[in-house]
Amino acid sequence: FQTTMDVAAEDSDQMPSGFHAKAAAKAARLRREAAKLASASALESPGGIESRPGEWAPTQSKLLRRVAVAARPGHFELSLQYGPYSVAYDTTGRLLALCGRGGHVAAFEWRQKRLMFESQVNEPCHALTWVGAGSTPQLAVAHSNWTYIYDAQGLELHCLKRLHKANKLFWLPRHWLLAACTDTGHLHWQDVSTGQTVASYCGHHGPLRVSALHPDSGCVLTGQPNGQLCIWTPLEKRPVVKMLCCPAGVRAVATAPAGHAVYTLGGDSRLRVWDIRCLRPLSVSDSGADAASIRLFDAAPQLAVSQRGLLACPVRQGAALMVLPAGGAKPLLSHPSPGRLSDLAFCPWEDVLAFGHARGLGSVLVPGSGEPNPDGAVHPLSGKRQRREAEVRGLLDKLPPETIAPPAVGGGVNAVDAEGIEEALARKRAAVMALPSDEVRQFQPRRRSGKASGELNRKVGERWQRRRMELRQLLKSKKRVLAEMGDEGADAAGGRKTKKAKKVSQSGELTKPATGTFLDRLIPKAD
Amino acid sequence: LFPVLIDQLDTHWPMKVKLLLRNPQDYLRETADDIHKLARNPAPELHPMSAETEYVRALNAAKLERVFAKPFLGCFGDQGDQLSRVCMHPRALSLCLSGCVDGRVAFWNIPRRSRVLQLDAHSGCVQGLCWHPEQDLFYSCCDTDRTLKAWRVGDDLTEFSRPVSQRHLDFAPLNLDHHVSKDLFALSGDAVYLYDSRRSDPVGQWKWGSDSVLQARFNPTEWHLLAAITKDNALLLIDTRQREPLRRIRCEFRQNALCWNPQEPFVLATASDDYNLYSWDARRLASPACVYRGHTNAAMDVDFAPTGRELVSASYDCTVRLWESGRSQSRDVYHTKRMYRVFAARYSLDARFIVTASADFNLRLWKARASEKLGASTPRERAAVNTAEALKQKYAHHPQVRRIVQHRHLPKRLYQAQLEMKAIRGKQRRKEVNRREHRGEDKEPFVPERDRHVRGVDE
Repeated sequence: FQTTMDVAAEDSDQMPSGFHAKAAAKAARLRREAAKLASASALESPGGIESRPGEWAPTQSKLLRRVAVAARPGHFELSLQYGPYSVAYDTTGRLLALCGRGGHVAAFEWRQKRLMFESQVNEPCHALTWVGAGSTPQLAVAHSNWTYIYDAQGLELHCLKRLHKANKLFWLPRHWLLAACTDTGHLHWQDVSTGQTVASYCGHHGPLRVSALHPDSGCVLTGQPNGQLCIWTPLEKRPVVKMLCCPAGVRAVATAPAGHAVYTLGGDSRLRVWDIRCLRPLSVSDSGADAASIRLFDAAPQLAVSQRGLLACPVRQGAALMVLPAGGAKPLLSHPSPGRLSDLAFCPWEDVLAFGHARGLGSVLVPGSGEPNPDGAVHPLSGKRQRREAEVRGLLDKLPPETIAPPAVGGGVNAVDAEGIEEALARKRAAVMALPSDEVRQFQPRRRSGKASGELNRKVGERWQRRRMELRQLLKSKKRVLAEMGDEGADAAGGRKTKKAKKVSQSGELTKPATGTFLDRLIPKAD
Repeated sequence: LFPVLIDQLDTHWPMKVKLLLRNPQDYLRETADDIHKLARNPAPELHPMSAETEYVRALNAAKLERVFAKPFLGCFGDQGDQLSRVCMHPRALSLCLSGCVDGRVAFWNIPRRSRVLQLDAHSGCVQGLCWHPEQDLFYSCCDTDRTLKAWRVGDDLTEFSRPVSQRHLDFAPLNLDHHVSKDLFALSGDAVYLYDSRRSDPVGQWKWGSDSVLQARFNPTEWHLLAAITKDNALLLIDTRQREPLRRIRCEFRQNALCWNPQEPFVLATASDDYNLYSWDARRLASPACVYRGHTNAAMDVDFAPTGRELVSASYDCTVRLWESGRSQSRDVYHTKRMYRVFAARYSLDARFIVTASADFNLRLWKARASEKLGASTPRERAAVNTAEALKQKYAHHPQVRRIVQHRHLPKRLYQAQLEMKAIRGKQRRKEVNRREHRGEDKEPFVPERDRHVRGVDE
């Protein structure tokens, strides 16, 4: 799958070497083959709208006339009274939950319109997310002060006082972590399976009001008023990456459920798309690389991205929503909202978009937004037993929080430990190139006394004389090799840089290699 | 008018809309007897962090292997005196013989761990035990009464007190081995004697030097080849077609036991008094092919698995170690509070079990693979086990995985003994390095490990 090298594969002159180019080409070929295999065995094909150029975006009534009756549950409107609503789908796409600033919390299966629970908590609720796996769904709701977790019947299971004044909640399914950004500028990561707080710290970057989760890596992205995009991980108390992405403040950040695209809406009402792996802009429109951003007039700062890259955003100050195709500027679809739009959420695995507004919530059909072929048991039609099995497997495969890292920073389980290898090589080189210690060179043998000591002393003295000559030769050859290896070699070996060595490196010519010592293999070969 | 206009608009602007709609029948099983359907999409976008997930699975596999690692199966019951020999039946999986220091020979049923038969075979220590390869006949020899006795075990396995045949020897036999197919057996005493069961006098005799021969074993594949270990720290290679032994390898320490590799005709392994095992390539005897280091006291016995890929060794330090052929670090170590000096260890014929005989008068049964499930496995279980093995191998170099896979708990005295051995070796290496630095490479050349243990090879 994709690495930072693959991004650079588009520009071959960016490849560090032929080896990397070949590796990238092989990876691209394997990806194409995998995609072909996937498409050949695919059960479903994605949705879409085929319209003639110049045609207006279709309305919901027009869509409903052209699709099967089975699609009708995806289009509904609920008029509710308790304030602007936030909506959240669970990972299977079966359950929809809502919470309103007036204290209304509810969850229901949106296909059958079967209500799971509905309650009035008498506190303003700002954000919500489904936590846990599909077999025992739990709902985390950020009230005005603390965060509460409710079960499928609406019973309050937990009150998380640490997640204080949270304005956004995120669920990391592979790590079983509940992440929260708060108005006080704190970030929290809470393990839902063991109850342990993995990280909880103040970011010291002001209140974190604009945030999104990058699902592929588990990092939290926040947009700052100075136009920076910060990437946070639980192990670092400071942003791991800070990227300037807008000339004005960042008003909204959104990520696709899978992939490397990050959408930012700046104070200049421009939507920009970034590649989080290399922190460079991705082209917004398919017309060309010139369109680095598109202008969204009067856009309210809520963005949602679907599994297939469709982007939904409110327009006309929240009076309507607009759906843009992947990499396009011409809207695919638009829909008026009865109240001012407060939240948007695409349903995973389905061509449905839910929106919450000041007067309730609604759901519209968006052909082509859902991924048609899921993998595993996380899809709307999985049975109870399959979801239970998937939950157990998910718990067994729970990833440790150390794996949460932005792709731009690199590393990962299969990354080559280049630093470690360099260190080991340097140590080996130092061991080989260690100069004979002064002690050894200046050792004087003990003079013996007694019978036949004169002869013995003479022999021992001669032996040591020979040894000292050998050591002197060894020292000379090592110094010469050090000089030829250059400054790098000298540093690695810890040897002294002699004047001779400097001259050699400045002249750039290699001296003739010596004969007969094992150090010859360290002398760099002339190309 | 309004509805008509709409229809007219539609016909003028036909738009093709496709919405993603799933048929539940494609995702649900048809009957309750079917297995559940599982959707599959190998696209990498749906599998982020797959390397990390695999790594976590490898870690879990390593941990579970240790959780299920319970190799000890049971004890065969008190024999009443120290056991000197164990001999597995060549054709039946569940039978083995044990020889005692007080001359008793017992016949065991391994799965039931029960004694089928017990004989007062000799008046002294049973020095040799071996089975006839085809007949239900076994031989035992003793050095005190200098006899070689043949016993027949019938189908009804009733107690009987007299051997089928008895041969008085004019030397004290120290060990016994039968040929894999011919009616020959080799006795070792003051020399290596080759006897034919139909003849009263030895057919061949080989000797090198004046010291006694401790053990002689036939090569299971090369029928004319014999290997023998002598008391003066030597290993002999004998061809029965020649009058003199082929080679003599003079080692630093005495070899206590020897075993030929059943799958590779030229490989043999010896257990040495210098705490090591050595495997030798008969074609190149100048140095051992591999040095197996790990025991903290003399290695008393060694046996190859029938696959030829694994070794088991019994040691005077009260442990049994399992090795992979060619790897000098042991794969596993078995120890028990009650197990004292282990004198014999044998693999079962299916390479799944190990029988050990120790100085605490007991025979013990162990699993060769400590976390193996005994009993029938479903195909899914086998697939899961194979996947776990593959994952562990893939991530074997990662420090966390390696730490769990390699670690074995040892009792305090054994752990301290291991640290002591490490300290001794470290000191020896440091001294060598210092000497090399002072005296020079030519006077103190670097000698690789495997060249340090052989004094010389004589032809």
